[in-house]
Parts: sequence; C-alpha cells; structure tokens
Amino acid sequence: MRIVIAEDNVLLREGLVLLLTSDGHDVVAVVGSGPDVLPALLEHRPDAAVLDVRLPPGFRDEGLRAAILAREALPGLPVLVLSQYVEETYAAELLAGGAQGVGYLLKDRVSRVEEFLDALRRVGAGGTALDPEVVSQLMTARHDPLQALTPREREVLGLMAQGLDNTTIATTLVIAERSVSKHIGAVFAKLGLPPTDSGHRRVLAVLAYLNS
Amino acid sequence: MNKALRRSADATSHLLAGLRTSVPAMLGLVPLAGVLVLLVIALPWLPAAVKPLRALANAERRRAGRLLGREIPVPYRPLPGDGLERGGMLVRSPVVWRDVAWMVAHGLTGLLAAVLAVSLWPAIPYTLSLPLWWWAVPEGSQSAFVTLDSWPKALTLPFVQGALYVFILLWLVPRFARWQARLAEALLRPTSRTSLVERVEQLAETRAEALEAHGAELRRIERDLHDGTQAQLVAVALRLGLADRRFDTDPEAARALFLDARNGVEEVLTQLRTVIRGIYPPILSDRGLAGALRALAAGQPIPIETDFDEGRAPAAVEAAAYFVVAEALTNIAKHSGATHASVTVRRQGPHLRIIVRDDGEGGADPGRGSGLAGIRRRVAALDGTTRIDSPDGEGTTLEVDLPCGS
Repeated sequence: MRIVIAEDNVLLREGLVLLLTSDGHDVVAVVGSGPDVLPALLEHRPDAAVLDVRLPPGFRDEGLRAAILAREALPGLPVLVLSQYVEETYAAELLAGGAQGVGYLLKDRVSRVEEFLDALRRVGAGGTALDPEVVSQLMTARHDPLQALTPREREVLGLMAQGLDNTTIATTLVIAERSVSKHIGAVFAKLGLPPTDSGHRRVLAVLAYLNS
Repeated sequence: MNKALRRSADATSHLLAGLRTSVPAMLGLVPLAGVLVLLVIALPWLPAAVKPLRALANAERRRAGRLLGREIPVPYRPLPGDGLERGGMLVRSPVVWRDVAWMVAHGLTGLLAAVLAVSLWPAIPYTLSLPLWWWAVPEGSQSAFVTLDSWPKALTLPFVQGALYVFILLWLVPRFARWQARLAEALLRPTSRTSLVERVEQLAETRAEALEAHGAELRRIERDLHDGTQAQLVAVALRLGLADRRFDTDPEAARALFLDARNGVEEVLTQLRTVIRGIYPPILSDRGLAGALRALAAGQPIPIETDFDEGRAPAAVEAAAYFVVAEALTNIAKHSGATHASVTVRRQGPHLRIIVRDDGEGGADPGRGSGLAGIRRRVAALDGTTRIDSPDGEGTTLEVDLPCGS
C-alpha cells in the first residue's frame, strides 16, 4: 500500500517508516506538523494514512481534524489514527463520516507489530480497527439495548467492534466458530438489526450500536 | 572622694523618694496582670460574645437600611479554626471594633433621642395650653423656660417654647433619625479597608490550603511515577539485559524475555496514561473545557443535559472544573440512583460557575463521601466556594464558584 505518515516524534516516525517498508508498503510522504497533513493527503491520495492525533504547532487534535477533513474531500480514504490516549468522542467523530476504512488505536499497539500491521491492512481494505479501550469506554456508556445482551454476547460484540472476523473471535474466546455466529445472530436480533451475510453490513451494524 | 560620696548619697535619696511612684506602680501590676489573664481567659469566649453583638448590628443594619432606602451590606465572613484562634482573629478584626464603636455611640445617644422625640409630642399641647390653666395649679408645677407667675409671662412664653418644640419636632427629629441611620451605615457597612483586611486574611488561609493541596498532589504524582512507572521500567530493562545474555545460547528463552519486556512496557504506558490524566486530562488541552465536559457527559450511563460557555479559563481553573464535574458525575452514577442529570458551566463576571443537578435520592453528606470532600478541597485550593443542597428524596444540587483571576 502507498502510505502517508503524520507523526511529530522523530524516533517514532522513523520506527513507523522502518516497520511499514519492511512489511512491503510504500511510504510516499512523511509529515511532522498539523498544517502539512491535509495537503499531503490530497496530493498523494494514499491507500492508507497513519496519523498522530496531537501534532505541532498547537499540540491539540490537529491529526484528527485533518483526518476528518481529508475524508470529507476524499470519501472512503482509509485513515488509521494513533493517539497516546483514546476518547470515545474522537471515535464517534471519526466514524460520523462513515465507518469504512477507519482505524483508531492507542500508540502502544504498534509494539504488537503483527496486530498493528493487520489492523492497518484491515483499514486499507475498508474495514475498521477500534482500540479495545475505546470499545470498553463505549460499552460502559449509555446504550440501552445493550442491557439485553448476555456477558458473552457483549464480549463478542466488543471484538466485532474492534474489527475482528468470526474466526479470530472464536480463537480469542476459545469457542467454536459456530457458537460465534450464533452469538452474533442473537446480538443482531436483540439490537433490532436484521442479520445479513455482508461484512460491511456487519461493520455498519456495530457502528449503528456504537453511535446509538 | 567627698564628691563621690555626695553623689552616691544624692542618688540614694532620689531612689528612696522614687518609692513614692514605684510602690503604686508595683501595686498597679496586680490589676494589670488580672486584666491580661482575664483577656486570655476571655479570648475563646469572644466569638460567643460577638454573636449577640452581630445579631444586634444586623437588626440595626436592616432598620437603618429601611430608612435610607438602601441595603447596608453585612461585612462578616465565616471564621475558621477553634475558639482561641477565632478569638484572636476577632480581636484583630476591624469589623468587630467598628461594631463596638457603633454600640457605644448608639448606646449613648439612641435611648436619649428616642425618649426626647416621643416626649415632644405631648409636650407641645401641654405647653400651648398653659395660658388656659396655669393659674389653677400650685405655683412651680408648670413652666415655659421659667415658672409662670403673671399673665404677661403666661401669654407669651408658652408660645415661644411651643414654637421651639414644633421646630425641633418638624426639623430636627427627622434629621436626627437620618443622622442616626447614616452613622450606623458608616460604622456597620464593610469599608474598603475592613473588607480588604478580611479578604487578605481569607486569601492567606486559602493560599496555605492551596500550597498544602499542591504539595500533596506533587507527592502523589512523585509516588505514582517512582513506585509505578520507574520501578516497572527498571524491570523491563532488566529483562532486556537478561535477554541479551541468553540471546546466543538460548534464543527461545531470550524471545520469551523480549515478550515479557514488551508486556511490561505496555503496562507502564497504561499507568502513565492514568498519571497524566490525574495531572491534566489531555482532552482539556485538545478541546477546551466545554469539549472535554461534553465528552465526559457522553460517557455517562444516564442522560446528561449540558449547557456550557465556550470561552476558555485559566488551565488550573479548567482542570479543577473538569475534576469537579467528573467527580460529581461519578457520585451520581454510583450513589444517587438518578435517572437524569444536568451540568451547567457559565462564566459569571470574574467567576466560573458550575452547577450539577440530579433527580436522585438526595441526602448526600459532604462529611462522609470522600468525593464531595475532594471537590471541596480542590475548589478551596483555588479560593472558590462549594455549596451542596441535597434534601432527602429531592435530588442533589452542587454549586461551585471558581474565581478566574480576571
């Protein structure tokens, strides 16, 4: 994939470049400050962008704003937003412009190289990757239909919200894949979402619940 | 030699004659010591003695205020500390001495003025009717300036005296009433000096509290970083060192140690996030107070109605406001049983006013829950005020005013 990186910390920036090129990606631009992000994205139109939320000169949420603006200009542009801390509100803002190709992870997750690269691939392919911590924040917040779910169903829904597929969910929870489908069916029913076999529908269903 | 003896003799006789003053002076020490001892004994009782004085002064403030058509503000502030400390503060407080001065002035003039004003009313018909009956009563029982003993006097002097009384009643009495009220106002209202003195004392107090709170905060952060983050990083470095030693001989074991080290680093990062959040919630610098509070409200298990000003306040004030609302919402979620709550944050003049309301069970006790006590401490550290209104069964209202320094 052709990738644009926005990160102000030199060490982390170089680490990301090294990591992504070694995985066979092509880093087409690296920027280190907020105002440069949007022009770089519009110029290179990458297959995916890896953006830090907090960038100079303001050190606020420049990266997040750039991501939202870029996705307004280039709908569906895959962005993976990284941050030292995660906020449910930021996730909601990112997802408001459509769920496809959105990732929002804690920076810590880059240390799990395989999982990180996997999340990036998923985002690049139009999927989602939400940090478990965001998902748990969303789970504790007010979402009344969730009260009807069993603990296991909540667990499955949480993993779905992170963007995992049935096989991975089954391995993570050490249960049969068939049970996973059964749980997901129950979740869809309880949340009032008609089950379909499309992967995107599945993501949208999760987001419908996240944004409820 | 002779001269020297002479000088000593003179000096001795001088000192001897000094007994005339030194003995009474010594005797004077006894009542002085008595007075001092009494003062020290009386000091703790001073607050109790000041209480009725203040009630009296307050009554006069209302009475004088009604006559003047303007309210006379009350200059008292709540006193901190125990009896002795309060007594000391009261003795130094100019407000107390002004109250006392008013009491002396009013005590000396008030009764006399009232008696004179009241007696003028019957005195006027009495005086004016003297010409009709002065001759019928025994001599000496009536007078207008002097005892009446002839018709010429009886037909002139009572009218002169009556005119004087009427003049006093019409002109002087209303003015005296105003003077009395003005005197009360002048002595009993907060002067710029008295309010300044009280304010300085209050500020010194809150500053001491702020320093204490700040110190405690620094110690807590230091402990978190020292016992948590730092220790954990040492453990990570140790694992990496071990992995380095084993790398050639036992790559599998080295790999396990690397993974251990990575887990350790992840834990450190999680801890650091908590520490940072405790120092200054990052979302505050990203989004400002209103944005941060909206995010906070959105994460609550019950619906929260929000009403925020968008303006910015000093960082310390915003951090305290965020802490207050976060703590209040946590309390609501945990204890109140409320189904609905509202958070209002408004700039009111030099203050930031925070109001958090819920429709829960009420009966919140700031003495018990450490949450409310924490809010109080944090607010007091910024020289702010906290009010909690939580009647049983009628929900809880928390009102906090934080000065913004401008």
